[in-house]
Amino acid sequence: MNKINHEQLLSLEHPFIPVEKFRSSLRVSQKHIEKEIATLTSTVSEISKKSVQGSMDPKQVEVALEAIVTRLSTLKRKLKDTRAEETLYSQRTKVRLQHLQEFTAIPTLDSDDFARWSRVRLNRILIDYMLRDGFRETATLLAKSEHIEDLVDIELFVQSAKVEQALMRQSCAECLQWCKENNSNLKKIKSTLEFSLREQEFIELARERRSQEAIAYAKKHLTPWKDTHLKEISHVMGLLAFPPETKCHPYKRLYDKSRWNDLISQFRSNNFALQFFTPEPLLNVTLQAGLSALKTPMCYQADHRNINCPVCDPDTLGALATDLPLSHHFNSSIVCRISGQIMNEDNLPMALPNGYVYSYNALAEIASVNNGKITCPRTGAIYDITQVKKVFIS
Amino acid sequence: MESFIKDYDKIIKKQRTLETNDPLDRLIAVVNEAKEKIRADPSSVTSSLAVLGKSIRTVSNGISEEQKEIQSSLSKYSKAIDKKFTADMMAAINPHAFDNKENILRSTIAMHFIRQGNFEIGDTFAKEAGLTVPDSMRHQFMEMFDIVAALKEDNLEPALQWATRHRSGLEKRSSTLEFKLHRQRYMQLLMGRQVQEAIAYARKNFAYFGTRHTQEIFRLMCSIIYMDHIKSSPYADLIATNTNADIQHMFTRDFCSLIGLSCDSPLYVSVTVGTQAMPTMIKMASIMKAKKTEWSQQQELPVEINLTDDTKFHSIFACPVSKEQATEENPPMMMGCGHVICKESLQKLCRGSSNLRFKCPYCPQESMASQAKNVYF
Ligand SMILES: [Zn+2]
Ligand SMILES: [Zn+2]
Repeated sequence: MNKINHEQLLSLEHPFIPVEKFRSSLRVSQKHIEKEIATLTSTVSEISKKSVQGSMDPKQVEVALEAIVTRLSTLKRKLKDTRAEETLYSQRTKVRLQHLQEFTAIPTLDSDDFARWSRVRLNRILIDYMLRDGFRETATLLAKSEHIEDLVDIELFVQSAKVEQALMRQSCAECLQWCKENNSNLKKIKSTLEFSLREQEFIELARERRSQEAIAYAKKHLTPWKDTHLKEISHVMGLLAFPPETKCHPYKRLYDKSRWNDLISQFRSNNFALQFFTPEPLLNVTLQAGLSALKTPMCYQADHRNINCPVCDPDTLGALATDLPLSHHFNSSIVCRISGQIMNEDNLPMALPNGYVYSYNALAEIASVNNGKITCPRTGAIYDITQVKKVFIS
Repeated sequence: MESFIKDYDKIIKKQRTLETNDPLDRLIAVVNEAKEKIRADPSSVTSSLAVLGKSIRTVSNGISEEQKEIQSSLSKYSKAIDKKFTADMMAAINPHAFDNKENILRSTIAMHFIRQGNFEIGDTFAKEAGLTVPDSMRHQFMEMFDIVAALKEDNLEPALQWATRHRSGLEKRSSTLEFKLHRQRYMQLLMGRQVQEAIAYARKNFAYFGTRHTQEIFRLMCSIIYMDHIKSSPYADLIATNTNADIQHMFTRDFCSLIGLSCDSPLYVSVTVGTQAMPTMIKMASIMKAKKTEWSQQQELPVEINLTDDTKFHSIFACPVSKEQATEENPPMMMGCGHVICKESLQKLCRGSSNLRFKCPYCPQESMASQAKNVYF
């Protein structure tokens, strides 16, 4: 019963050990290097040609080669950040794999190790929640004070916050750059984010009535999408004929500034999908499962309230749980209202003459310091310990 | 997990080679080499450039080989991960259940930090989320954590003062905290070889607990005889290493109970229960999705989620005959033999007659419905 099903719990940890970020920063540096090699090859063959033709003497060749070295060194400096990112993310995944490995060694749910691991998990989940809602200061502070920087994704959210802020300022450039960096993965999830951004840039040109530029922009950036988005392209092209104040459908909607917010949510969901993050915060998912599992009809009845039950607090978690299903039980489990302990063969349920049931241990303890008398905590009735009767729950 | 870690280590090793043996450095080296050769011998310019062209090709082939290798190991690894970590968590969420409750959730989070003693984080969060944490709660928990901090340093005085001040409240909860603290203090004196002081302390403080803790006081006094080698005596348990941690736990539990709050953070309890419930919830949700029903719209979960004993907070009585959970209309009834079934099942058994004798389904005893009585869990 209190054994941990590691396999099942591990299956929840997909967003925790991604290699996407590592892969994409590797890809960035690879692309730069590939490009550099191509330039290098053609420059060197150019130099050879000129040297053979006699239009370049050995001294000039030397200078040209020196220039290449400078170029390569500059690129090396430029790639330093990308390399640092590669190291950060590759190390981070390793730390996380080890964290999960430690989890597989924890045998039972009632061990201290499990409690410790659960506390870390709660902090991870809380930081995820805070980052999504932009509470970066708390997230950073918590990660630092709990020494779990490697187990949370602050950097990723800092980066995506930059893109989101740019969109809020109505600038697509940062997001387009992000699309370029993640092109192949965005294709995999069939993202249309880039098209939406292109559309928006066109809309803004149309809004300012810069028709010539708008047409040039459409030729360059919208036509590549004609096979899949012909209808949308023809709609935005129609904007050239309508002023921003138009009441005419669908142009009114296209000019609507709220499209910028849609772009932000589209970017968010694409970004989350790429990182294997859940669309909703992990806190909400986990909390809903937990609250449903704990919720009983008694939680909302004042005289059945248990201060240790999270759902019983009507101001906090009880209020959150109102729209969630109740738990369901096929088996009885009787909790002693005096001690909070479960009643079973080791701690039998005993009924007082008034029908109120308490655990044997709790009643015996009260009787032992009270000359064998028991006061029913719910009714105030006083009985002798000899009057209690065993109850059988099958 | 081990196999993932092993595969991943290989990837890291490959990445390290790329790092220490930077492709750009290798290119710089071959270009520099050609340059030096030409400088030393300008007549070799044609052959040197030809060599350089070839070297660049070799180096670049090597680089793209390495890069391909690392990318393919990475994609192999990520495919393996995709295969193993499959849970579709979104199946088990009702995206609207917390609608318009953002502030309730946030103040629950702020209170969670306060009650963990993380005041700085609680305050920062409250500030960022635009919430105010009630001062009263803050002060209460500050007092609690001050006392815990003292306990951690074996200073029992603040805890003792608190316990004496709240004696009646603690006794109502049948708490033995005050006695345990005195016991601890007594043992401290004894282990510090302050025997006279220990005896004086016992005289002064144990009298009040004389009837309730007779046996224990007797043991405490006897342990004086063994104080020099208590670890190998029958009283070794009195100085067990975890007593301090136990007292801290007992103190926090009683403190919270007295101010009407749970012992553990409710957020921690809910999330921990939720984590364990997730796999079952996901499975249930996907089965229901296949049947085109929505679990979140149900009054009750269609599956049973097992709780550990420490997270069972309410008595659940499921009638062993009808398998239904007891309700106010269908309450649990104890038959003459002591077995409990729900009222409706009882009425079926006695066929509606209150003085028909019938056999209990769980034991050989016979009784009548009129002998059955309501029980309250
Ligand atoms: Zn409850
Ligand atoms: Zn029976």
